[in-house]
Amino acid sequence: MSNSTRSKLIRPSRRQFLHGTAALAAGTLAAPSIGRAQSKELYVNSWGGPWLEAATASLFDPFTAATGIKVNTVSPVSFAKLAAQVRTGVYEFDVTTLGGGDIIAANNAGLLEDIDSPYDGGLFQNGVASHAFSTVIAWRTDKYEEAPQNWADFWDVERFPGGRSLQRYAARVLPLALLADGVAMEDLYPLDIERAFAKLDEIKPHIRVWWTAGAQSTQILRDGEIDMIGIWHGRYFEAEDAGAPVAMTWNQSEVDRAYWVVAKNTPNMDAAKEFVKFATSPEPLAGFATLGNYGALNPAALEFVPDEAKPRMPTSPDNYANAFEQDMANWGGDPQEVALRFDEWLAT
Amino acid sequence: MMRRMTRLVDHQTIWPWLLLLPLAVYLLVFFAVPLIEVLKMSVTEPKPGLGNYQKVFTGALYGKVFLNTFGTATLVTVCCLIVGYPLAYLMSNTTPRRAMMILLLITMSFWTSFLVRTYAWMVLLGNNGPIIWLIEMIGIADPPGLLFTRFSSTLAMVHILAPYMIMNIYSVMKKIDPVLIRSAESMGARGGSLFRHIYLPLTAPGIANGAVLVFVICLGFYVTPVLLGSPREQMVAGLIGNQIEQFLAFGLGSAMAVVLLVITLIVLGIYHSRFGLDKLWG
Repeated sequence: MSNSTRSKLIRPSRRQFLHGTAALAAGTLAAPSIGRAQSKELYVNSWGGPWLEAATASLFDPFTAATGIKVNTVSPVSFAKLAAQVRTGVYEFDVTTLGGGDIIAANNAGLLEDIDSPYDGGLFQNGVASHAFSTVIAWRTDKYEEAPQNWADFWDVERFPGGRSLQRYAARVLPLALLADGVAMEDLYPLDIERAFAKLDEIKPHIRVWWTAGAQSTQILRDGEIDMIGIWHGRYFEAEDAGAPVAMTWNQSEVDRAYWVVAKNTPNMDAAKEFVKFATSPEPLAGFATLGNYGALNPAALEFVPDEAKPRMPTSPDNYANAFEQDMANWGGDPQEVALRFDEWLAT
Repeated sequence: MMRRMTRLVDHQTIWPWLLLLPLAVYLLVFFAVPLIEVLKMSVTEPKPGLGNYQKVFTGALYGKVFLNTFGTATLVTVCCLIVGYPLAYLMSNTTPRRAMMILLLITMSFWTSFLVRTYAWMVLLGNNGPIIWLIEMIGIADPPGLLFTRFSSTLAMVHILAPYMIMNIYSVMKKIDPVLIRSAESMGARGGSLFRHIYLPLTAPGIANGAVLVFVICLGFYVTPVLLGSPREQMVAGLIGNQIEQFLAFGLGSAMAVVLLVITLIVLGIYHSRFGLDKLWG
């Protein structure tokens, strides 16, 4: 085997299945948690980057101060590891966040601990709704004088010639293709899967990178490897704040919800549940959302969010008016099956 | 192997084998056991049976990716040979000092981590990188993107794997008795004929060693194609990662890993029957 080292750019969890050395390292990292009893420590799966900064300041440190429970982070976010640790009984993390697509699959697979929501309407598939993030259209201002307005423009390589990038994630990409094909935001769900793939065929030759990790999407936009990208809003602002000649639009932005979940049967159950409760309570969540430019989903948190933070939040009224929400419950097919088909489509 | 083992036990003390015990235990725990686990998963997940293997052999995607993996490994091996052979020849026919210098340059790149080299190619081949800049300087407006293509991933893999080829061929070339060449010349062999009948057959073991090593290592490549390659040219390792990471298809991923392993063993087996595996490491 080769290529035994990787960066955060691509989620290293894969290498641990593939590469002896890395698996070994992971094994030693994981080892202490085998015998971990109900200690005063909690392991949280971290997205890194701007997410981690916001979470450390607003969630982890205050939680430790309030409860005395130390918070450790484990990177990167890995859906597979969540499954693997329930399967093996070796826990690397106790809590993690999942998006709307993954949480249904995770809950169906019995990977999530039953949980109560600390606030009304927060519970979905054994996850507690925490914050909203968006997939938005962003582009290089040194490439285009005219600003693209919507996904139809993203698909329009005549008016906007240049390399494109989208996330390698079927559940998020298919709705965008339908919008590009002229479907109205309110008529999207359930998705017309066939029509979406037909529309994707058109853009496929122009997609230079199907990005798989947040940091990677920032990098290719910042370095001008591509000219237009569908990117998470937080990762876009990272590129903008780094001084790259880039711009974005909230128009037709795709809002996803992130949920806190507790890994099934984790030995740190009590601390884990306590943390989820804390992280979705008004003040900590408001701080996290403010620092990370996320949209807080506990309505009670909104009063703690300062006005100046709102222009960068996907759920603030001005931005949300032009957005649509992923509707995983009414998605239009089995997301896992469609994801498999998407993978096959990519390789042909 | 067995023959050698009995001979060693017979003629030497038991001590060398005791010294190997920690290694054996280590291999058993960290290699054999997980491997058996993978084998088991491939026939038990999600339900017992050979369904996963059936999928690997009949699914259009998997066949395509396996073929692509072989195509890429072959291409990389051939490129390594084209680059490596002349370089090894140069090294074995120059002053020892110059040979040392070349060797040093090759090993320096060899010791640099995979990831650093892969990122270095990203910088070099990027839209704002020096190569695109050079292409533009010589007057080609709007040059094609070099990054995220089959070209960029092949180039980087050849760069990473060429040292294996060069070292193997060089070590064989160094051992060629110059007298053989001179006598061939005295018999009237010249240029192409000398190369075809004398030099090439003498270096063939080095080529075979280098080619097998490069090919087998390349089959399992992961990072470089994922970071530098085009999404259309996936390799098996990347696909296995995807099965597990995205679809939690541990069974299918394991089955693909087993198939890849068996194919690799077959390649090594063919090599073994022709040359003997013990020669692979010089």
